[in-house]
Amino acid sequence: MSFDDSKRYFIDRRLAERIAATGSGSFQSYFAMLRSDADHEIEHLVNAFTVNETYFYREDHQLRCMTAHLLGDLLRRKPDREAIRIWSIPCSTGEEPYSIAMWLMENWSEVDKYNIEIVASDIDTRALKAAAEGVYGARALMRLSHDMIERYFARIDEAQVRIDPGLRESVQFTRANLIDGQDMARYRDFDIVFCRNVLIYFDDASRRIAAENLYDCLRPGGYICLGHSETMSRISPLFSVCRFPEAIVYQRPEATDDGK
Amino acid sequence: MTESERPVAGAKARILVVDDSSLVRLYCRDVLEKAGFEVEQAINGIEAMEKVLEQTFDLVIVDVNMPRMDGFSFIRVLRGSASHVATLPALVVTTEAGPHDREEARAAGANFYLMKPVSESDLLRHVAVLTGAPQ
Amino acid sequence: MPFIKRGASSTDKAPDSKADGGAESHLAALHSPDAEVRWTAARALGGVAAAVPALAAALGSEQVPRVREAIMTALMRVGDEASVRALVPCLRSEDAGQRSAAVEALQSLPGAVAPFMTALLADGDADVRIMATELARNMAPEDATRVLSGLLEKESHPNVCAAAVEVLAEVGTRDAVPALQACAARFAGVPFLPFAISTTIARISSIES
Repeated sequence: MSFDDSKRYFIDRRLAERIAATGSGSFQSYFAMLRSDADHEIEHLVNAFTVNETYFYREDHQLRCMTAHLLGDLLRRKPDREAIRIWSIPCSTGEEPYSIAMWLMENWSEVDKYNIEIVASDIDTRALKAAAEGVYGARALMRLSHDMIERYFARIDEAQVRIDPGLRESVQFTRANLIDGQDMARYRDFDIVFCRNVLIYFDDASRRIAAENLYDCLRPGGYICLGHSETMSRISPLFSVCRFPEAIVYQRPEATDDGK
Repeated sequence: MTESERPVAGAKARILVVDDSSLVRLYCRDVLEKAGFEVEQAINGIEAMEKVLEQTFDLVIVDVNMPRMDGFSFIRVLRGSASHVATLPALVVTTEAGPHDREEARAAGANFYLMKPVSESDLLRHVAVLTGAPQ
Repeated sequence: MPFIKRGASSTDKAPDSKADGGAESHLAALHSPDAEVRWTAARALGGVAAAVPALAAALGSEQVPRVREAIMTALMRVGDEASVRALVPCLRSEDAGQRSAAVEALQSLPGAVAPFMTALLADGDADVRIMATELARNMAPEDATRVLSGLLEKESHPNVCAAAVEVLAEVGTRDAVPALQACAARFAGVPFLPFAISTTIARISSIES
């Protein structure tokens, strides 16, 4: 198989390797394979392209949207004293849920006035274990200022820091599978769910199941933030699209006005 | 479009083409770029909304039959947005031609509609009108 | 720190016991006047092959879009011929969202949909034929090429041809080229289609080794 440089399409080396490794004779065959996820090819492709993609304050425009718009809106409708419940799923090695906590403390003037619960879940128990330990290297910290690192981490050695124990204790880590109905039935009444960069890797049926599960996990009027450039597979029947200057997020409808 | 809103002479009008079909996007882009317009593409309504919020456009061309968010829904959302975005001229491209669709296009807030298959001349003529460019 | 840990659910009660009702009660619940109950039932019956007739019947009368989605997902998860048979009528729905949902569901079942393709691609309604071309998108390239080339040879509506050409641009093999060329000749005077065909032929010819 040869790739002519003069052609319009740039072929990433990693993609070319996958095409060769699967014995696909052409793009079409390879993409057909991806679509049917034969031999878990999607996972292989993802692994080929993923180089520790998680870090603190990743896609922080969504965190900004949370403090600038979402929380205000949620609180307007929330009974007194009801906690704000936020869910990070998948949480991977913890950067996302800890970022949520840090962001709230740094950027939300009302953070001390409310009870906030942060739940963080993943299907991968090793990642959860690492998240609970809270040890990170330079790459995960790359978007944080020196001040932030001083404030929220303690240095272990040249290469690593450990997250502040108070912060670590603030997040509840659990194991959960987005497409397992029984798992997901244990999660209810969330105000904001961060479900970033995982649905795109699901096949159509799994994506729909996950979306339906997430619907049930949200309070009416609750919000979901997907990864940048992800779109909710079936938007109109389940979620409304909310456009804010910082981000586009999805909302479970407030009233049950489906008609009963 | 008022006089003050017309594109400055010499400035290229910017057009966003929203269609899930790569061939249609390519076709529109070729036709419009040859005619001197700057063209951006979006493959669905969500991507289109992001681009419309981030960049300035003089016109959006939207396919009605898109899988995740149909063109009418997109235009309704557009019209419900913050002011500079809400008044963005919108040309819808549909495959049906019945009065019901014309009415729906109007009700959704589209400025005009074209039927597929779209000819070069029809496309350019409508784009010229909607961007206030000289014909 | 303002953060508190309480538990996965804001209340500590066990998961809703309705969910453990078993297939029988879910089948009955599909007809509940309460949309929430129907929603839960449809989701619980996902992948249950024996439920397909009941799901199909429910799909026909369901008005609430969210519940309709869940019924379609449930049928998708079974994914057999009976499921496809239940989903196909939705292609004719007045509701664009429902049509689009049906296309998405059927697109994910290329194997089960295959026996239906000939009839769908020959349907009297051009819009149904257009949607049918979409269903070939996830088929093996040889199969998609075969059915869509067959369509191109006989199709008289340029928009249907354009839809088939679009799908071939993504999954077609070189075997599609003759039918594409013949179609371009037939529709030489029509806007857009000759462009689409020549672009597609170029794409198909250049990518394969």
